[in-house]
Amino acid sequence: MILDEVAFASLAAIAVVTALAALLVRELVHTILWIAVFFVTLSGIYFLLAAPFLGVLQLGVYAGAVTILLLFGVMVTRKRIFSREAATGIGPAALVLASVLGILVVVSASGVPTQEVPIRGYDVTVLSTTLFNDDGAWLLLLGLTMLGALAGAIYLVREGRE
Amino acid sequence: MTSLPPVDFLALSGALLAIGIFGILTRRNFILLLISVEIAINAAILNFVVFGAYAGTPAGVSGQAAAIVLIGLAATEVAVGLAIVLALNRARGSINVAEATQLKL
Repeated sequence: MILDEVAFASLAAIAVVTALAALLVRELVHTILWIAVFFVTLSGIYFLLAAPFLGVLQLGVYAGAVTILLLFGVMVTRKRIFSREAATGIGPAALVLASVLGILVVVSASGVPTQEVPIRGYDVTVLSTTLFNDDGAWLLLLGLTMLGALAGAIYLVREGRE
Repeated sequence: MTSLPPVDFLALSGALLAIGIFGILTRRNFILLLISVEIAINAAILNFVVFGAYAGTPAGVSGQAAAIVLIGLAATEVAVGLAIVLALNRARGSINVAEATQLKL
Protein backbone atom coordinates (compact mmCIF):
# COMPACT_ATOMS: atom_id res chain seq x y z
CA MET A 1 0.00 0.00 0.00
CA ILE A 2 1.20 3.45 -0.93
CA LEU A 3 0.22 4.95 2.45
CA ASP A 4 2.44 2.49 4.33
CA GLU A 5 5.34 3.25 2.03
CA VAL A 6 4.98 6.99 2.60
CA ALA A 7 4.73 6.44 6.36
CA PHE A 8 7.80 4.21 6.43
CA ALA A 9 9.86 6.46 4.15
CA SER A 10 9.17 9.57 6.23
CA LEU A 11 9.77 7.76 9.55
CA ALA A 12 13.04 6.26 8.26
CA ALA A 13 14.22 9.63 6.95
CA ILE A 14 13.43 11.33 10.27
CA ALA A 15 15.20 8.53 12.19
CA VAL A 16 18.43 8.80 10.15
CA VAL A 17 18.44 12.61 10.20
CA THR A 18 17.78 12.89 13.93
CA ALA A 19 20.40 10.23 14.75
CA LEU A 20 22.97 12.18 12.72
CA ALA A 21 21.87 15.51 14.21
CA ALA A 22 22.24 14.09 17.73
CA LEU A 23 25.91 13.34 17.05
CA LEU A 24 26.72 16.53 15.12
CA VAL A 25 25.12 19.45 17.01
CA ARG A 26 27.34 21.54 19.25
CA GLU A 27 25.31 21.75 22.44
CA LEU A 28 24.93 18.60 24.51
CA VAL A 29 21.37 19.47 25.58
CA HIS A 30 20.33 19.69 21.91
CA THR A 31 21.80 16.22 21.43
CA ILE A 32 19.43 14.89 24.09
CA LEU A 33 16.45 16.56 22.42
CA TRP A 34 17.36 15.08 19.01
CA ILE A 35 17.84 11.63 20.47
CA ALA A 36 14.39 11.91 22.11
CA VAL A 37 12.88 12.57 18.68
CA PHE A 38 14.85 9.58 17.35
CA PHE A 39 13.38 7.27 20.01
CA VAL A 40 9.84 8.50 19.31
CA THR A 41 10.37 7.88 15.57
CA LEU A 42 11.55 4.31 16.20
CA SER A 43 8.44 3.79 18.32
CA GLY A 44 6.40 4.86 15.26
CA ILE A 45 8.25 2.25 13.18
CA TYR A 46 7.32 -0.43 15.74
CA PHE A 47 3.68 0.58 15.42
CA LEU A 48 4.09 0.25 11.64
CA LEU A 49 5.49 -3.25 12.19
CA ALA A 50 2.26 -4.22 14.03
CA ALA A 51 4.02 -4.34 17.41
CA PRO A 52 2.06 -1.74 19.43
CA PHE A 53 3.18 -3.10 22.81
CA LEU A 54 6.83 -2.67 21.84
CA GLY A 55 6.04 0.80 20.52
CA VAL A 56 4.57 1.83 23.86
CA LEU A 57 7.50 0.22 25.68
CA GLN A 58 9.93 2.15 23.48
CA LEU A 59 8.08 5.39 24.31
CA GLY A 60 8.07 4.66 28.02
CA VAL A 61 11.59 3.30 28.48
CA TYR A 62 13.58 5.21 25.85
CA ALA A 63 11.71 8.43 25.09
CA GLY A 64 10.80 8.70 28.77
CA ALA A 65 13.28 7.16 31.18
CA VAL A 66 16.54 7.05 29.19
CA THR A 67 16.11 10.60 27.85
CA ILE A 68 15.45 12.00 31.32
CA LEU A 69 18.41 10.03 32.72
CA LEU A 70 20.74 11.40 30.02
CA LEU A 71 19.41 14.93 30.57
CA PHE A 72 20.07 14.53 34.29
CA GLY A 73 23.63 13.40 33.55
CA VAL A 74 24.21 16.43 31.31
CA MET A 75 22.80 18.84 33.90
CA VAL A 76 24.99 17.44 36.67
CA THR A 77 28.23 17.53 34.64
CA ARG A 78 27.45 20.58 32.55
CA LYS A 79 29.65 23.32 33.99
CA ARG A 80 32.91 21.58 33.24
CA ILE A 81 32.56 19.93 29.88
CA PHE A 82 31.70 21.26 26.52
CA SER A 83 30.51 19.19 23.67
CA ARG A 84 33.25 20.10 21.28
CA GLU A 85 36.52 19.04 22.71
CA ALA A 86 34.66 16.03 21.55
CA ALA A 87 36.22 14.74 18.32
CA THR A 88 38.97 12.11 18.21
CA GLY A 89 40.34 13.47 14.92
CA ILE A 90 39.85 10.29 12.91
CA GLY A 91 36.60 11.54 11.41
CA PRO A 92 37.09 10.58 7.73
CA ALA A 93 38.48 7.11 8.50
CA ALA A 94 35.60 6.43 10.90
CA LEU A 95 33.11 7.65 8.31
CA VAL A 96 34.51 5.27 5.67
CA LEU A 97 34.63 2.36 8.12
CA ALA A 98 31.07 2.93 9.31
CA SER A 99 29.75 3.30 5.75
CA VAL A 100 31.48 0.08 4.63
CA LEU A 101 30.01 -1.72 7.63
CA GLY A 102 26.52 -0.39 6.95
CA ILE A 103 26.70 -1.35 3.26
CA LEU A 104 28.01 -4.79 4.23
CA VAL A 105 25.03 -5.31 6.53
CA VAL A 106 22.61 -4.33 3.75
CA VAL A 107 24.35 -6.49 1.11
CA SER A 108 24.43 -9.51 3.42
CA ALA A 109 20.62 -9.31 3.55
CA SER A 110 20.47 -10.46 -0.09
CA GLY A 111 18.22 -13.44 0.67
CA VAL A 112 15.54 -11.17 2.09
CA PRO A 113 12.58 -10.56 -0.25
CA THR A 114 12.48 -7.12 -1.85
CA GLN A 115 8.79 -7.23 -2.78
CA GLU A 116 6.03 -6.37 -0.34
CA VAL A 117 5.24 -9.01 2.29
CA PRO A 118 2.29 -8.69 4.68
CA ILE A 119 3.32 -7.89 8.25
CA ARG A 120 1.93 -10.17 10.90
CA GLY A 121 0.97 -8.76 14.28
CA TYR A 122 0.68 -10.71 17.51
CA ASP A 123 -1.82 -10.58 20.32
CA VAL A 124 -0.37 -9.25 23.57
CA THR A 125 -1.57 -12.42 25.35
CA VAL A 126 0.57 -14.55 23.00
CA LEU A 127 3.51 -12.24 23.63
CA SER A 128 3.16 -12.42 27.41
CA THR A 129 2.80 -16.22 27.31
CA THR A 130 6.03 -16.43 25.30
CA LEU A 131 7.78 -13.94 27.54
CA PHE A 132 6.82 -15.53 30.85
CA ASN A 133 6.67 -19.23 29.94
CA ASP A 134 8.80 -20.21 26.96
CA ASP A 135 11.40 -17.44 27.19
CA GLY A 136 11.04 -16.99 30.96
CA ALA A 137 14.71 -17.69 31.60
CA TRP A 138 15.68 -14.55 29.65
CA LEU A 139 13.38 -12.40 31.76
CA LEU A 140 14.87 -13.91 34.91
CA LEU A 141 18.41 -13.23 33.66
CA LEU A 142 17.39 -9.66 32.81
CA GLY A 143 16.12 -9.19 36.35
CA LEU A 144 19.36 -10.51 37.84
CA THR A 145 21.40 -8.27 35.51
CA MET A 146 19.35 -5.24 36.57
CA LEU A 147 19.84 -6.10 40.23
CA GLY A 148 23.62 -6.34 39.73
CA ALA A 149 23.64 -3.10 37.73
CA LEU A 150 21.67 -1.33 40.47
CA ALA A 151 24.16 -2.43 43.12
CA GLY A 152 27.09 -1.43 40.88
CA ALA A 153 25.61 2.01 40.11
CA ILE A 154 25.02 2.72 43.82
CA TYR A 155 28.58 1.60 44.61
CA LEU A 156 30.00 3.91 41.93
CA VAL A 157 28.22 7.09 43.01
CA ARG A 158 28.12 6.66 46.78
CA GLU A 159 29.38 9.48 48.99
CA GLY A 160 32.77 9.54 50.66
CA ARG A 161 34.51 6.94 48.50
CA GLU A 162 38.21 7.70 48.24
CA MET B 1 -3.07 -5.23 6.85
CA THR B 2 0.23 -3.50 6.39
CA SER B 3 2.62 -4.87 3.80
CA LEU B 4 6.10 -3.53 3.15
CA PRO B 5 9.34 -4.98 1.73
CA PRO B 6 11.44 -6.39 4.61
CA VAL B 7 14.68 -5.25 3.00
CA ASP B 8 13.71 -1.60 3.56
CA PHE B 9 13.71 -2.12 7.32
CA LEU B 10 17.06 -3.90 7.15
CA ALA B 11 18.51 -1.01 5.16
CA LEU B 12 17.31 1.42 7.84
CA SER B 13 18.82 -0.82 10.51
CA GLY B 14 22.16 -0.94 8.65
CA ALA B 15 22.19 2.85 8.29
CA LEU B 16 21.48 3.34 12.01
CA LEU B 17 24.22 0.84 12.92
CA ALA B 18 26.68 2.76 10.71
CA ILE B 19 25.73 6.05 12.41
CA GLY B 20 26.18 4.48 15.84
CA ILE B 21 29.60 3.04 14.97
CA PHE B 22 30.64 6.38 13.49
CA GLY B 23 29.71 8.11 16.74
CA ILE B 24 31.56 5.55 18.86
CA LEU B 25 34.71 6.01 16.77
CA THR B 26 34.74 9.80 16.61
CA ARG B 27 33.40 11.14 19.90
CA ARG B 28 35.29 11.64 23.15
CA ASN B 29 32.48 12.91 25.33
CA PHE B 30 31.24 10.06 27.52
CA ILE B 31 27.56 11.00 27.18
CA LEU B 32 27.85 11.17 23.38
CA LEU B 33 29.48 7.73 23.45
CA LEU B 34 26.54 6.39 25.46
CA ILE B 35 24.12 7.89 22.93
CA SER B 36 26.03 6.33 20.02
CA VAL B 37 25.84 2.93 21.70
CA GLU B 38 22.11 3.45 22.20
CA ILE B 39 21.66 4.17 18.47
CA ALA B 40 23.56 0.99 17.55
CA ILE B 41 21.55 -1.11 20.04
CA ASN B 42 18.31 0.32 18.68
CA ALA B 43 19.38 -0.80 15.20
CA ALA B 44 19.85 -4.34 16.56
CA ILE B 45 16.47 -4.30 18.35
CA LEU B 46 14.81 -3.13 15.13
CA ASN B 47 16.23 -6.23 13.39
CA PHE B 48 14.65 -8.53 16.00
CA VAL B 49 11.26 -6.85 15.59
CA VAL B 50 11.45 -6.91 11.78
CA PHE B 51 12.24 -10.63 11.55
CA GLY B 52 9.62 -11.35 14.22
CA ALA B 53 6.99 -9.45 12.25
CA TYR B 54 7.79 -11.23 8.98
CA ALA B 55 8.26 -14.74 10.36
CA GLY B 56 4.57 -15.48 9.96
CA THR B 57 4.56 -18.35 12.45
CA PRO B 58 3.97 -18.44 16.21
CA ALA B 59 7.77 -18.64 16.58
CA GLY B 60 8.00 -15.08 15.27
CA VAL B 61 6.69 -13.72 18.55
CA SER B 62 10.03 -14.69 20.08
CA GLY B 63 11.52 -11.76 18.16
CA GLN B 64 9.35 -9.35 20.11
CA ALA B 65 10.16 -11.10 23.38
CA ALA B 66 13.88 -10.76 22.61
CA ALA B 67 13.31 -7.07 21.78
CA ILE B 68 11.68 -6.50 25.18
CA VAL B 69 14.61 -8.15 26.98
CA LEU B 70 17.08 -6.08 24.91
CA ILE B 71 15.26 -2.82 25.68
CA GLY B 72 15.58 -3.63 29.38
CA LEU B 73 19.27 -4.45 29.00
CA ALA B 74 19.97 -1.21 27.10
CA ALA B 75 18.21 0.85 29.78
CA THR B 76 20.32 -0.90 32.45
CA GLU B 77 23.43 -0.09 30.48
CA VAL B 78 22.53 3.61 30.39
CA ALA B 79 22.00 3.63 34.16
CA VAL B 80 25.44 2.10 34.83
CA GLY B 81 27.01 4.38 32.19
CA LEU B 82 25.64 7.48 33.86
CA ALA B 83 26.88 6.28 37.26
CA ILE B 84 30.35 6.04 35.67
CA VAL B 85 29.88 9.55 34.20
CA LEU B 86 29.08 10.96 37.66
CA ALA B 87 32.04 9.16 39.29
CA LEU B 88 34.39 10.29 36.49
CA ASN B 89 33.16 13.86 36.71
CA ARG B 90 33.70 13.90 40.48
CA ALA B 91 37.20 12.40 40.26
CA ARG B 92 38.57 14.16 37.17
CA GLY B 93 36.37 17.22 36.71
CA SER B 94 35.74 16.24 33.11
CA ILE B 95 33.98 13.47 31.21
CA ASN B 96 36.38 13.39 28.29
CA VAL B 97 37.21 9.70 27.91
CA ALA B 98 40.74 10.56 26.66
CA GLU B 99 41.55 11.84 30.16
CA ALA B 100 40.21 8.76 31.92
CA THR B 101 43.46 6.81 31.97
CA GLN B 102 43.11 5.02 35.30
CA LEU B 103 40.64 2.28 36.01
CA LYS B 104 40.62 3.27 39.68
CA LEU B 105 38.83 6.59 40.05
